[in-house]
Amino acid sequence: MSRPWFFILLSLAAQDRHGSGIMRDVLDLTAGELRLWPATLYGALDELREREWIRALDTAPAFARNESARKRWYRITAQGRRALAAETASLEATLRTAQRRLAHRTESA
Amino acid sequence: MRRFASALYRAALRALPAELRAAHGAEMEALFNEELDEARARGRAAYVAACAAAILDIAARAPYEHLRLRRDGPREQRMRSLIIDLRFALRSFMRQPGSTALIVATLGLAVAANTAVFALLDGLFFKPFPFPESSRLVYLNETAPRWNLDYTGINYPDFTTWRSTATAFESMAAYGVTSVNLTDGASSERATAGIMTYDLPRVLGVHPIVGRTFTADEDKPHGPKVVLIGYDLWQTRFGGQRSAVGASLRVNSETYTIVGVLPTSAEFPGGVKLWMPIDGDSTAHFQSYQYDGVGRLRPGKSVDDAKRDLYHAQIAVWAKDDTGHVVSPSVEPLRATFAKNFRAVGQVLGAAVALVLLIACANVAGTMLARSIFRRREIGVRVALGASAGRVTRQLLTESLALAALSGALGTLGGEWALRAIVAASPTLVPPWVSLGVSARTIAYSFGLVTLAAALFGIAPVFQLTRLEVSSQLVGGGGRAAGSVPQRRLLDALVTLEVVFAVVLLVGCGLLVRAYANLHNVDPGFRPDGVAEFRLALPAVRYRNGLEQRRFFESVVARLDAIPGVDHAGFVTCPPFGCHWGSFFQAEGAPALVKGQQDPVTLLRYASPDYFATMGIQLAHGHLYAPNEGGSTPGAFRPAVVNEELAHQFWPGVADPTGKRFHSRGDTSSSWTTVVGVVKDVKHYGLSTPMRPGLYFPITRIDSASDFPTYAMVVHTTRDAASLFPEIRRAVHELDPELPVYQARTMRAALDASLAQQRTTAFALAAFAAIALALAIGGIYAMLSYVVGRRRHEIGIRIALGAQRRQVSSLVVRQGLRLVVIGLALGLPLSLLGSRALGSLLFGLSAYDLTTYAGVAAVLVITGALAAYIPARRAARVEPKIALSDGA
Repeated sequence: MSRPWFFILLSLAAQDRHGSGIMRDVLDLTAGELRLWPATLYGALDELREREWIRALDTAPAFARNESARKRWYRITAQGRRALAAETASLEATLRTAQRRLAHRTESA
Repeated sequence: MRRFASALYRAALRALPAELRAAHGAEMEALFNEELDEARARGRAAYVAACAAAILDIAARAPYEHLRLRRDGPREQRMRSLIIDLRFALRSFMRQPGSTALIVATLGLAVAANTAVFALLDGLFFKPFPFPESSRLVYLNETAPRWNLDYTGINYPDFTTWRSTATAFESMAAYGVTSVNLTDGASSERATAGIMTYDLPRVLGVHPIVGRTFTADEDKPHGPKVVLIGYDLWQTRFGGQRSAVGASLRVNSETYTIVGVLPTSAEFPGGVKLWMPIDGDSTAHFQSYQYDGVGRLRPGKSVDDAKRDLYHAQIAVWAKDDTGHVVSPSVEPLRATFAKNFRAVGQVLGAAVALVLLIACANVAGTMLARSIFRRREIGVRVALGASAGRVTRQLLTESLALAALSGALGTLGGEWALRAIVAASPTLVPPWVSLGVSARTIAYSFGLVTLAAALFGIAPVFQLTRLEVSSQLVGGGGRAAGSVPQRRLLDALVTLEVVFAVVLLVGCGLLVRAYANLHNVDPGFRPDGVAEFRLALPAVRYRNGLEQRRFFESVVARLDAIPGVDHAGFVTCPPFGCHWGSFFQAEGAPALVKGQQDPVTLLRYASPDYFATMGIQLAHGHLYAPNEGGSTPGAFRPAVVNEELAHQFWPGVADPTGKRFHSRGDTSSSWTTVVGVVKDVKHYGLSTPMRPGLYFPITRIDSASDFPTYAMVVHTTRDAASLFPEIRRAVHELDPELPVYQARTMRAALDASLAQQRTTAFALAAFAAIALALAIGGIYAMLSYVVGRRRHEIGIRIALGAQRRQVSSLVVRQGLRLVVIGLALGLPLSLLGSRALGSLLFGLSAYDLTTYAGVAAVLVITGALAAYIPARRAARVEPKIALSDGA
């Protein structure tokens, strides 16, 4: 799964958001490292919708105000959550392997 | 900048598939703008980086999105091949980073120059004024050819006659510009104010942000003290509060009531901060000609209709006040009036940048051609493997378009910066009402240009490559010999073309720079160094008449004289480059004017006795008036100092007219004024403008019946003139703390400012000529380097066979100089034709100025020889043993 996809799903896993909200959340999640510029962000959102991992909401949620209420809001689907969980599990496995190898190398050095 | 960035981003978005744009375009733009705002807070570099990142993001994503959204259909195939071509182009750029950078820089520079000039011309000549239906607006004035005046200014009674009788107009208004003292308790400032007939906003079609405009009743003699303020003043003085309406404002030490706030777009004629009613009195006769006018034509009426209409209305004026029909109305489209001063400069700059672009295209075409020759083998292989000629052509065109797009983007950004730099460097070049900035139209223009350029420089190599014989590419040495003669000829032609254009540009630039230098050497008639100038305007409520006003200025002079290092100080009603105040006089015994005879206006000034010494104005005959000489009472002796032009026109053939007498035209009393001295002409209207007759009256003529609240004060010092201003301010403040010192500048600065437009034009053209020269010389260098590189094998053989190294290098230099000479032979005659178009910008310098032509020829021959010398040395160092190797 590409980095933008992963972080978009991760961002929507917490709550419904609009495009610019996702972008800001991802920036926070990655400590400023991953900035989703508009073409990448909206391209990826389109793709995720095509796969039905997320869906666009017909109306903005009640807490959205003024300007942000006019934007399109997105919600993660059950399928999306499963994909995110699978990716997280795989990352976890990779992470454990990485930690093991790093530890091993330190001992032998 | 923000608008420009948004426009650029919007244009870039078009690279994405339409579906994606339709679904998300608006949000993408909004997000981009958010990002920009955030980046702006981190500084300019971050801002530019954010722009670049967002556009790169589109560039990187667009091909993928196109593939994703158009998975089927015939377009997919084409799109896929476009992506392959683009990738291929990128790889080939990477392989030759040097020449790629050179092409992008060359073209980028040319596009930047073109963008900046186009934006400038667009703003000056084409963008509509910020008023609704501005094409119906006309500029009104009066003209008096017999007074030697194109515009006299409008006389208020004439204006009211027009307003009540003219039918071609929906509405018309008169306005003028003055400056006022604004005070608020502690501090005082000088502000530019507009005075207008009550309906100026309605004529222009602007509405107040808050409050209302003036009523007809407020625009009458001794009307109520009401004022309209502009957006700036509203923000700075009233914090943008609606309660500003009804508040009071101290103007010239009197209290005015604010009735409304006008928007920025209403700051007509520009730089005006507040407006007051004209309070004109149409019943008084013989008022001065002082206002400008603007009218809105009825729909369907032309400027000619309006002219006929006003002439008809003027008949009443002629019958009553102007039986000689001296003054007549003048009507012009508003835009044309304000753009008039820029037409000649605009044409020259436009032509110059077009030449720069042509040279850049020739240059890039040469580089592309040289590149393609190196790639013959690679392309030969592709053709042999089955690529169609069309496919190869498309590949090459993609490459040149990609280069062009890259240069276009860089050039547009560069142009925006260049435009800002030009405007910042010479604020007087561009009038404040012109909205400058890179618009969508300018971006379209730049990209149109580079596409054209890409087609131009793309064609040459394509033409060469599609004629390839497959077999010749694969057999023996990769085509060292094949087709080399026609290619060389094409290269030669391109370089010669560059030289030709560069010659034309250099000649034009040389002429303008020399004309400017000549102008700079014109004697202004005074000594500009060591003189500081400033103005004071006395409020009428506290300085009630001419005598009180004069006494105050005399006390200022006494203070100024006390400043250490100051040796002279004086004052005058009308300093050089600053104003015009004309009147009519006639010499004693001169015959009465016959109908239709020229009756030139005389520039009238009142000057304090020390004014002449302060300014360093030289006496030609007689003497200056003494401090207490003359008076205002009837029968008193009335001395005057006149300039040489007046002496010449009033008493032709008289060597020394001191003692001669004159009086105001039409004066029937016997109060004659006597010429006591003649001074040299001061170039009052600018160094390139001929001087009118002029005279100076002593200030002793000013009495309590007159009103002269404003003078320009001049101070001469042996120190740096600019360092005087703090002491000047202190001296004035001690006398009257409410009085602002304004228009404070050194005379040298005033002189320089009067040449600003000429200087900017000369500098801009010099910059373009420098680019042109660099490109042409670079072209010669690149061409020779290429040729030497290709002929190493042959040169090696020559040296092996006993050719002297000097012979070899002189062969190369000669080859370079041959192109320069051909270029000169074609370019110089072309310049002779072209430079005639410079006409009025040369200020008397001949368009056939030999020095310029000789100089340009010398510069090109010398730089051309230098450019040829480096490849020549490389040729001379070729080792003979290279002849033994394969040499590919």
